[in-house]
Amino acid sequence: MSLQQVVQPRPSANGFGRRRVEREMGSRLDSKPHSGKSNPNSFTIAGAPNGSKVGGYESPSRDWLIYLTTCLIGHHVEVQVKNGSSFSGIFHATNAEKDYGVILKMARLIKDGSFRGQKSLSESIGKPPSKTLIIPAKELVQIIAKGVPLSGDGLANGLQCEKRKDIMIDSLISHSHHVDVQRELERWTPVEDDLQLPELENIFDNPWNRNWDQFETNEALFGVKSTFDEELYTTKLERGPKMRELEREASRIAREIEGEETLDLHLAEERGFCFHEDFDIDEETRFSSVFRGVDDSGYEESEDTTLDSRNTETFGGSSGTVISRSFSDVARGRTDGAQASSSSLSMDEAQSSQSIASKDLHRLSSIDHAKQLTSDCVSKSGKSRMHENQFREQHGGKSYSTESTERKICRVGEETQTSKSEDKVGLSPSATAFAPSSSVSSKGQENASLVGSSDSIGAGTIKAVNSRGRSGSSTSSTSEFVAAPSASSGPGLSPSSSVGSLSSEKSSLNPNAKEFKLNPNAKSFMPSQTPLRPPSPVSEGSFYFPANVSAVPHMHTVPVGIGIAPSFGHQPVIYNPQATPVQSPQPYVHPNGPLYGQQMILGHPRQVLYMPSYPQASFGPAKLPP
Amino acid sequence: MAMDASYGDEFAVGCFISIKTALGDEFEGQIISFDRLSNMLVLQEGSKTGPRRNIRLLQANYIKEFTILGQAEDPLDLKKCYLDLASLQAREEAAIRQAEMEAERIGVGVTSDAQRIFDALSKTLPVHWDKTVIMVMSEVRVCSPYLPENVTGGTPAANDRVKKVVMHIDTRI
Repeated sequence: MSLQQVVQPRPSANGFGRRRVEREMGSRLDSKPHSGKSNPNSFTIAGAPNGSKVGGYESPSRDWLIYLTTCLIGHHVEVQVKNGSSFSGIFHATNAEKDYGVILKMARLIKDGSFRGQKSLSESIGKPPSKTLIIPAKELVQIIAKGVPLSGDGLANGLQCEKRKDIMIDSLISHSHHVDVQRELERWTPVEDDLQLPELENIFDNPWNRNWDQFETNEALFGVKSTFDEELYTTKLERGPKMRELEREASRIAREIEGEETLDLHLAEERGFCFHEDFDIDEETRFSSVFRGVDDSGYEESEDTTLDSRNTETFGGSSGTVISRSFSDVARGRTDGAQASSSSLSMDEAQSSQSIASKDLHRLSSIDHAKQLTSDCVSKSGKSRMHENQFREQHGGKSYSTESTERKICRVGEETQTSKSEDKVGLSPSATAFAPSSSVSSKGQENASLVGSSDSIGAGTIKAVNSRGRSGSSTSSTSEFVAAPSASSGPGLSPSSSVGSLSSEKSSLNPNAKEFKLNPNAKSFMPSQTPLRPPSPVSEGSFYFPANVSAVPHMHTVPVGIGIAPSFGHQPVIYNPQATPVQSPQPYVHPNGPLYGQQMILGHPRQVLYMPSYPQASFGPAKLPP
Repeated sequence: MAMDASYGDEFAVGCFISIKTALGDEFEGQIISFDRLSNMLVLQEGSKTGPRRNIRLLQANYIKEFTILGQAEDPLDLKKCYLDLASLQAREEAAIRQAEMEAERIGVGVTSDAQRIFDALSKTLPVHWDKTVIMVMSEVRVCSPYLPENVTGGTPAANDRVKKVVMHIDTRI
C-alpha cells in the first residue's frame, strides 16, 4: 500500500528536534517513484517484487497489520520509543516494508523518558509540535491508539463525525481539546412506564376530582375571600320542579349534539371521531382554523351573504346561517329567525318542551351519509320518526364524492317514510311541521313562509350549508335548526315567538311569502363534488427529508478485502494532481488513483453542497397555499 | 526476551494475554494480529464497546514477559472490515488542521501561567502569540508577567478593556 512508504525526511517546521535516523531508509526508498506509474513496488502485499525484501511473509497476518495500520491513519496516537519518551500526534504513515517505523504529524513529546520524568508536562506544552515526526523502527516500542474504528460501521460513523468536525462550529473552535464523539441520536419513543404518570394524566380532570380547592386554600392561607356570584354573570336559574325536566332535556340535547357525527373536521376531532384512511387530509386541513371552503353549490344567489356572515360572526356560524338562509330565501326578508332560532338554542333549557320535535330522534347517520335535518311532525306527535332533510354537506374528504343529496319529505299526517334514496327535493307542505307543537297552522304558515319552494329551499339550504363561513357541522346546524323551533314552545308561533324569546332588530318573516307547495317535478339537487380546499401543494414535500444526504458518504466506501491481493493490485499509485483539494502537501504517495481522485473531488464539494440543501428541506409544510 | 513465544503468537489470534514490557508498562489485551516479519503485535485493549477499540501495537521485542490469560474468538469480524481511504484522508486532513489551529494557540517558551492567561483571554478576545507576548486584537500587547500593568498599546478603550479582562483573570486565579 502506497501509504506506507516513507518518503525522505523533511525538515521540521518548528524548532523541535526530529529523529532523522531514517535517512538511509529514505534514500533507499527514493528509488521508488512515488508519483510514477502504478508499480507494484509500493505494494507490500500482493507479492510485490520490486523493493520488497521479504519473501514469503505470512500474507494474512501481514494484511491484518496493514489493515489495522491503515485504520489508524489520521487518528491521534501515542508512540513510545526506546528511551521511554512518548510522542503524541496524528498517525500519518508507516513503513511496513520490513520494519515498522511510523510517521506522525503534529507530534509533540508528552513524556520524556530521557530525563526520567523530571520534566514537567507544562514545559513540554510550551513547545510547538513538530509538523512531521519520523520514528524509525528501531526506536519504536509501541503505539497506542484509543477509540479506533476498526470495522465498517465504525468507519462510517467516524466519517460522519469527521465531516461534522470539518464544519467549524463554534464549540469546536472554542474548545482546544477534542470533543467527544457525537452520540447516536435516537428518536424518543414513549416507554411504557412513562405513560403511568398519574399527575399528568389527571391534570385536566373534572374539578371535583381534584382534591384541592384553590379558593379554600387561598382563603386559608391568605384570607382572601371569594366574592364570585354566578348569577352576576348568567341568567338566574329558577330552581323548581320544572327545573329538573329542563335540565334533563338540556343534557339530552347536548349529548345528542355532541354525539353527532359531523362533517367538520375540527368538530369531529373534538368529538373523538377518527378519520377515514382515504381522506387526503394534510395537517393544515386538520388543524388550521383557516377556512378554505369552496362554494360549489353553483347557486349564485348571493343574497344575504352579509347576513350570513353576520350570523356567522354572531353565532359561530352553523345554525344561524342555515336558518337564516332558509328563511331569507323564502321570505326574502331579513328575518331574525336565524338569530332567534340560534339564540333560542341556547335557551333550550329554558324553553323546553312539550315540544315533540325535541324529543324526536336525531337519527345519526354514518359519517358517509349526508346529515339529516330533524324535523318534526306535529300531527304525528305519536310518531317519533324523524323526517329528515338530508342535504349534502361540503366536505373536504373524498368520501363524499359519491354522496348525493337526499331530501326527505316530511309529511305531516302521512306515513312517514324515510327513504334515503329519495331524491325529492323540497319539503312537503307537511314539512311545515318544522316546528313542533300545537299550532300547526301557524307553523304551517310559518313554514310555508319558510319554505317557499322546494327548489329554493333546497337551494337555500344547500347554499346555506355550502356558503357557510366555517365548515361547521351541518348536523349541528340542522339540529339546531330543528331544535330551535321545537324548543320554542307556545302556540301561535309567530316568527318571533316561534324562534324563541330573542327578538332581533331584523324583521319578521315575510307574511307575503307564497305558501309552500310541493313540486313533484323538482329536480333533485346534486351538488358537484369539490374538495374542501385544494390539497396543500407541499404535503409531500414538507415531510420529505433528504435522506440522500446521509447516503452519500457511503458511496465513498470502497470495500477492500483483506488478503485479497489483486484488489490492491488494481489500485494505482498515481498521485493524481486532480485530487488537489484533499491532497496533503507532502509528496507521500497516496492511494489516489483516478478512481479515488474523482471521488475525492466530489467529496469535498459535496460537503459544501449539503449546506444549501438544508434550508429548502425539512422545514415545516408551507402553511399558506396561494 | 521471549522471542520464541512471540513467534507463537501468530497462531493465537484472539488470545487474551497479559504483557509486561521492557520499559515497565503492563497491560492486558486481546491479540488481534501478529506480524512476524516486523515483529509487531497488535492488541486490543479494554472491553469491546462497539466498533471503536483501543489498539496497541507493540514491538514484540520489547516484551519482557507475558502470560496467556485465555483464548477467545477473533475480535475482528472479517466481513465488516473494509477501508475507506478517502475518509481516512479526510480525517487526517481534519486532524491536522485542528492540530495546527491548536498549535498556534500555544506560546513557545512561555510559562504555563502565561498560557493560562492566554487561554482565558482568548475566550472573549482575539489573541495570538508574538514570541512571548500576547497580542490582543493585534494592537494591545501583554508581556510577561501578564499583569494588568503589563498591558500596553492600542487605543485607550481597547487597552482598558484588556486591562479589565486581565484583572479578572488574576482575581479568579
